[in-house]
Amino acid sequence: MAKGLAKSFKKALWVYHCNSGSCNGCDIEIVAALCPRYDVERFGIKLVGTPRHADVLLVTGPVTRQQADRVKRVYEQMPDPKVVIAVGNCGNTGDVFYESYNLVGPLQDVLPVDIHVIGCPPRPENIIHAVAKAWTKLETLEAKK
Amino acid sequence: MSKETTQTTYQIPIGPIHPSLKEPVMFKFDIDGERIVDVDVELGHVHRAIEWTGMRRNPIQIIYLAERICGICSFVHPLAFCRAVENACEIDVPERADYIRVVHGELERICSHLLWAGVAAHEIGFDTVLFLTWEVREKALDLTEYLTGNRVTKAILTIGGVRRDIKKEHHAKINETMASLKEGYKKLAHAFLDDKTVKMRSKGCGVLTYDDALKLCAVGPTARGSGVKKDVRADQPYTAYGDIGVDYITPDVLTGEVNGDVYDRIIVRLLEVKQSIDLIEKAIDQMPAGDIVSEPKIPKLLNQIKKIEGEGIGRDEAPRGEVIHYVKFDGKSETPYTWKVRASTYANVLPWIPMLKGDQIADIPIVAASTDPCMSCTNRVAVINNATNKNYMLNKETLHNLSVMKTRRMIH
Amino acid sequence: MSAKKTEKTEKMLTPEEVVKYFKDEFKTKIKSAEIKRRTTGSKKKEFVNIWIKIDRSIFKDFVKHLCNLTYPHLAVACGNDLGKTIELVYNFSIYYGNHLEELSLNVSVDVPKAKPEIETICDWIPGALITEREKQEMLGIKVIGIPDERRLFLPEDFPENVYPWRKDEQTKKELEKLYKNLHEGAKKK
Repeated sequence: MAKGLAKSFKKALWVYHCNSGSCNGCDIEIVAALCPRYDVERFGIKLVGTPRHADVLLVTGPVTRQQADRVKRVYEQMPDPKVVIAVGNCGNTGDVFYESYNLVGPLQDVLPVDIHVIGCPPRPENIIHAVAKAWTKLETLEAKK
Repeated sequence: MSKETTQTTYQIPIGPIHPSLKEPVMFKFDIDGERIVDVDVELGHVHRAIEWTGMRRNPIQIIYLAERICGICSFVHPLAFCRAVENACEIDVPERADYIRVVHGELERICSHLLWAGVAAHEIGFDTVLFLTWEVREKALDLTEYLTGNRVTKAILTIGGVRRDIKKEHHAKINETMASLKEGYKKLAHAFLDDKTVKMRSKGCGVLTYDDALKLCAVGPTARGSGVKKDVRADQPYTAYGDIGVDYITPDVLTGEVNGDVYDRIIVRLLEVKQSIDLIEKAIDQMPAGDIVSEPKIPKLLNQIKKIEGEGIGRDEAPRGEVIHYVKFDGKSETPYTWKVRASTYANVLPWIPMLKGDQIADIPIVAASTDPCMSCTNRVAVINNATNKNYMLNKETLHNLSVMKTRRMIH
Repeated sequence: MSAKKTEKTEKMLTPEEVVKYFKDEFKTKIKSAEIKRRTTGSKKKEFVNIWIKIDRSIFKDFVKHLCNLTYPHLAVACGNDLGKTIELVYNFSIYYGNHLEELSLNVSVDVPKAKPEIETICDWIPGALITEREKQEMLGIKVIGIPDERRLFLPEDFPENVYPWRKDEQTKKELEKLYKNLHEGAKKK
């Protein structure tokens, strides 16, 4: 696992996924990470159904006008400490959709992003690596409290 | 004299395992007790202005833009676009490239149908089958990565052919994967088609009649599950399907009767997986020698396109149905004057309405998932409001649980 | 109107006969008709695209005449902004279900931009609703008699009377206000 996990996090890491208008390529790779081949649940990482229980927010897609509000509301519902991961090139630079009249992004204009995962779509290994980095960041945030 | 109905909204789930994987689409239902009285669909949350963006790029850049219309159908959209340009500019594709396109198209169909089978199993409540299906799918994805370099978004197409060849040294891995896919198929067929619970749960719900399917212009397994014989691979020859020969797959091939319900659509999709494996083997066998692209130098190709004035259409069969792209060139520049995309779920939105009317709330997840909607292809959302009295939200988790509990009630 | 298809007993016309079937009925209102044939694969199987240009006044009767021949499948309606007119291209396909005998029929109609109206075909082909709604919001075409005229894809707060697929200067300026180039990193409002 990642360096710096000297003391294990007191509970499993709960992740909430939010689709802000993506093509589903990244979403499929996130779900593939949960399947027997990559099996991210053995590390204690779990996908949850509501942001109120989550520690980490995974956002895919360039932020479309209709989804911008929704993404903000999801972020506000999450309790502290929290980490935001922008998965895929769309949330970072817009990828091939960089000129459009219906996009509000990049994601860092809408939310404070902690970790950027690049790739179109990023491989499941990259996503797991990003969540592991989020883990260490959360540990530091928790230790500061 | 109006019945007391309640109004509720439901957000369609597309992700297995967790309600958190949603595709933004909204249904609004008019409910009377447990029965659905009326349906409205609201689209638009994934609108990225792709066609508008495409009209500011040159054709080679549009191929990469078209790939990202949808992550699961990332081969058929560029293929339809390339064929539209080839038809408008009268570019001939070499025969070997046609066969290679068949192999990749069918491989994508297998991956997509297996993904869908996992989602359907999850909605019924069989999570083990979900993991089994996606494990089988990993083998097909491995083969995709071996042949093209990536699991999703393959970048294998170009105007006038393909970019990478399938050489003799690749055949060993292809044959090995096909053998293991056949094994996986047998397990899936047993899990879905021989299982009493799946039959009980899916027979009789989400019925789309033959007449409705024709009038609403449904496409793909949604139409074929109701007995309508529409399949672009068998109707109009494109790439090498005309040579190899494709049959229409309708539910009466297996059971002898057509009901148009969810069970019929499951049958159609599983039989298509078997058909795809056979098609790949035939394409590899019959592949002729030759070039893989008609014009390898891109600046020369773009110059050729610049002079053309005309319009063209490319139609092909995605895992979800017919995809059509329309392109118009005005002879002044290589950027297309107009580019129109019509993905398959576009045509499968209206059939949702007759399918869902009269069903129970607990059936919503399985019926909605049975058409295999791909919202990013379509990006539509429609909201319907009917009755006015009570107004409550049913989120995905509640609906999914309702669906699973109904299955458990049926088993006991 | 019945949508039944009897595949085996249906008599299929050749592309030339199809064109003649329409020309016999509508005579000079058919402005032009072109049949394009291309081949594919090793055995050089042929596929046919028929392109017909018609006058706006016979559009609805044309579709009715087509439904009398055989019930078509409407794929989509595309639109081209040609300056003073908007050209609508309806892509139909007929004779599906018969193994490699399908014909693609593309019907184009010109509407003037000053009065962009066209009749709905939803009473013959209910599945045309989605594509007609899209043309209304993207090109500003008014579809007379459409059963449901709400917006389809664009967000609710998108300005009225701005039609993204039009190519005139006014539309370009309006879209510039909404347009954002993500690579520049600066917000343009």
